[in-house]
Amino acid sequence: MLKKGCKFHVPSCLASISFSNSYSDLSFSLYIHRELQKVASFGTEREIPIESTEKQRRTRCKRETEMGLKNRAEEENCSMNEALLFATVCIIGLPVDVHLKDGSVYSGIFHTASVEEEYGIVLKKAKLTKKGRCATNVTNGSVVETLVILAGDFVQVVAKGVPLPSDGFAGNTAHGNGEAAFDIVPSSANPLNGANRFTKSTMDKRKNNRKRNSVQNENGFTPAKSGKEHEGENLRQNPMGNAKEVVYQKSDRTNIEEGKDASSATVAGRQVGDDSLQLLQDEYDQKFEFHVEESAKEVKHSVSSLDACLTQVKPVEGAHAEMTIKLLLNGAPHDAPVVGKLENQCCERPTATDIYQDAVCSGVSISSSPVTAVSSESCQSSLATQAAIVSSQSLESNKNSKEFKLNPGAKIFSPSFASAISAAPPIVPTVANVSYVPGNSPMVAVVGSEPEVGIGSFAPRSSTPSKFVSYGNITAAHGVSGSQFSQPIVGHVGSRTQPLRYAGQYHPVQAVPAYLNPNSQAVMFGRMGQLIYVPVSHDLVQGAAAVSPVPACPPLTPHHVQFPKHQGSAPGQALQLCLPQPFIAGGQQPLAVPSHIPFLQPPFPANRPIQVPGSNGLYSTKLQ
Amino acid sequence: MEGEEFAVGCFLSIKTTLGDEFEGQIITFDRLSNILVLQEGPKSGPRRNIRLLKANYIKEFSLLRQDEDPLDVKKCFLDLTSLQAREDCAIRQAEADSERFGVGVTSEAQSLFDALSKTLPVRWDKTVIVVMNEVRVSSPYLPESVSGGTPAANERVKKVLEFERKRMQVRGASQ
Repeated sequence: MLKKGCKFHVPSCLASISFSNSYSDLSFSLYIHRELQKVASFGTEREIPIESTEKQRRTRCKRETEMGLKNRAEEENCSMNEALLFATVCIIGLPVDVHLKDGSVYSGIFHTASVEEEYGIVLKKAKLTKKGRCATNVTNGSVVETLVILAGDFVQVVAKGVPLPSDGFAGNTAHGNGEAAFDIVPSSANPLNGANRFTKSTMDKRKNNRKRNSVQNENGFTPAKSGKEHEGENLRQNPMGNAKEVVYQKSDRTNIEEGKDASSATVAGRQVGDDSLQLLQDEYDQKFEFHVEESAKEVKHSVSSLDACLTQVKPVEGAHAEMTIKLLLNGAPHDAPVVGKLENQCCERPTATDIYQDAVCSGVSISSSPVTAVSSESCQSSLATQAAIVSSQSLESNKNSKEFKLNPGAKIFSPSFASAISAAPPIVPTVANVSYVPGNSPMVAVVGSEPEVGIGSFAPRSSTPSKFVSYGNITAAHGVSGSQFSQPIVGHVGSRTQPLRYAGQYHPVQAVPAYLNPNSQAVMFGRMGQLIYVPVSHDLVQGAAAVSPVPACPPLTPHHVQFPKHQGSAPGQALQLCLPQPFIAGGQQPLAVPSHIPFLQPPFPANRPIQVPGSNGLYSTKLQ
Repeated sequence: MEGEEFAVGCFLSIKTTLGDEFEGQIITFDRLSNILVLQEGPKSGPRRNIRLLKANYIKEFSLLRQDEDPLDVKKCFLDLTSLQAREDCAIRQAEADSERFGVGVTSEAQSLFDALSKTLPVRWDKTVIVVMNEVRVSSPYLPESVSGGTPAANERVKKVLEFERKRMQVRGASQ
């Protein structure tokens, strides 16, 4: 209530109080309260029961609010109703604009208010943002440490962006978000898979988690499953090439899932899983259904890994675009790492997976039957990554760990990988057979050469399935018959435009998984040069392997299949690869291609080195 | 203006005696202090604006519609620790920001300072802008006013200053 007759004394009303920084909040509050008390009681001389300290007052506010705003304005010592008190407390510490009677506006941090009788306000770091009619002792532009605004001058307080408690306070919200993230990841994975898949995936996740734990234990990973990151770190620390690789694959999957390509990725994952299963069962020809189931399982695995990595994954998802870029970059590094080091590869993998995921998905589906297609898409990146992975796996678990470091998500994934790994051993073989067939089988071969590592890599691949598949193919090609595989891919690249078609083709042939591929392919294209490659590869594959892909794959297993493709388009493919590599062009280009070709037949060593350098350089350049 | 008129949950369109016009939903009205608490913004949004308005200064208002009490009593929890942390953080931020404001300088000088601060480390030495701790730009903040520092740094600051002045001119012209 404005008291009529009350003079408007801006200078006197606005007590600008400067405290030394050493003043305690308590004493300050006391001071303010006394000041306000004087003001409030001025003229009325009424004995006002005042909270001795702001803190107490706030505490009481809390108590009251928790009690529920039952007796508004009826609280014995509180002259202000609880809702007003609540609103006041809600804006403490927020920047507010205080409008005064003379039209001036002060901006500052809401520190406290007197709720006794009159509503006086204390601002911290107050500035005069709009000058009123009256003179003031606050100069324009200067910051007043503590500004007391008396009730008589106060017109309104405007606080913007107030997080009302009903919306959840920051602290609580944050916690909730963290948890939510975890939950979300799984869900995202699930959606991709579909209801059935979801259920399966959830089931699988549980299983996977168990497996992961066991795996981790086996690998020597710390059993800090709860901390996914920890696991990732452990992986890094531990020289578990397999586990790491697995994790990577998972991460890739997760990335894929997360991304728009998620569905495709999941599909890819499924396919991969199927592939792996197929490999295990040697049932490529048998049917997609099996693949689907397997893939579902794999998906589950991936999901579990995703879950583990959820936190990390989420970030990744958030920045898919960035991720893709990174992936591209990573892909380059992967190649290089492959040649030089596994660490880089790991990083590359994640990226590759993301980028490739789409391609992989399509490729995967394709890969299961038409290995080439898969390889083509993800081949370049994936191939490089795969090769790198393979080499890395075989070579060094440490590298993997490094990769993890590079990719936070990768770390997260690592846990999942671990779980995947547990499953991986069996899966890997299957995976290799499946989409990766070309790559995978090569991978396998590589594995054979590098038993432990190879296995690990395989496992990852299986888990990574879709993404890796393509990658796997590439890598595989690089690693063992990697060159061959890569070549197929190259060939595919040549027929880039066809990709989609191929995907479709592949899908039909291979199975349901293929469906995802189309999407993924599209994505891949958009993302990178690699994508382009993929299409090409598809074409090549289609053209060259179209018929053979499935048949060849089943009989031969992935490796064989790939070879056929490679063989068919080998020369041309190699050339094509070069073309696709334009992305690479950026970096890998020719060298990579040549290397691949030569490598194809030569074992890993040659291929890897070559790929790595080329891919890395190119990618990096591109990325940059 | 009687408090009883303000039913919690009402959406009002309010004009104040100071010329402000806004819409908001009533959170509460405190008769004793004659303060009306309103919230603005999307109802479901995580953050809204809160206004504490002294009812004396309401020139006119119209009832837009009636709604439920926006405060859910069961959700009214406050974390004093986080509140305190928020205030401390805000004060620290304000302190950091306050160092950016030159005292007794023109708005043009301040905007030049702000522009320079985007690319270079700057601080105020009274009314002189100190760039990179060595180059000094004094009033009237023209390229000719740049002094001190290594020739390279000096040239750099001059260029940035010139560029920023051109930008400001363009902006001013466009307005």
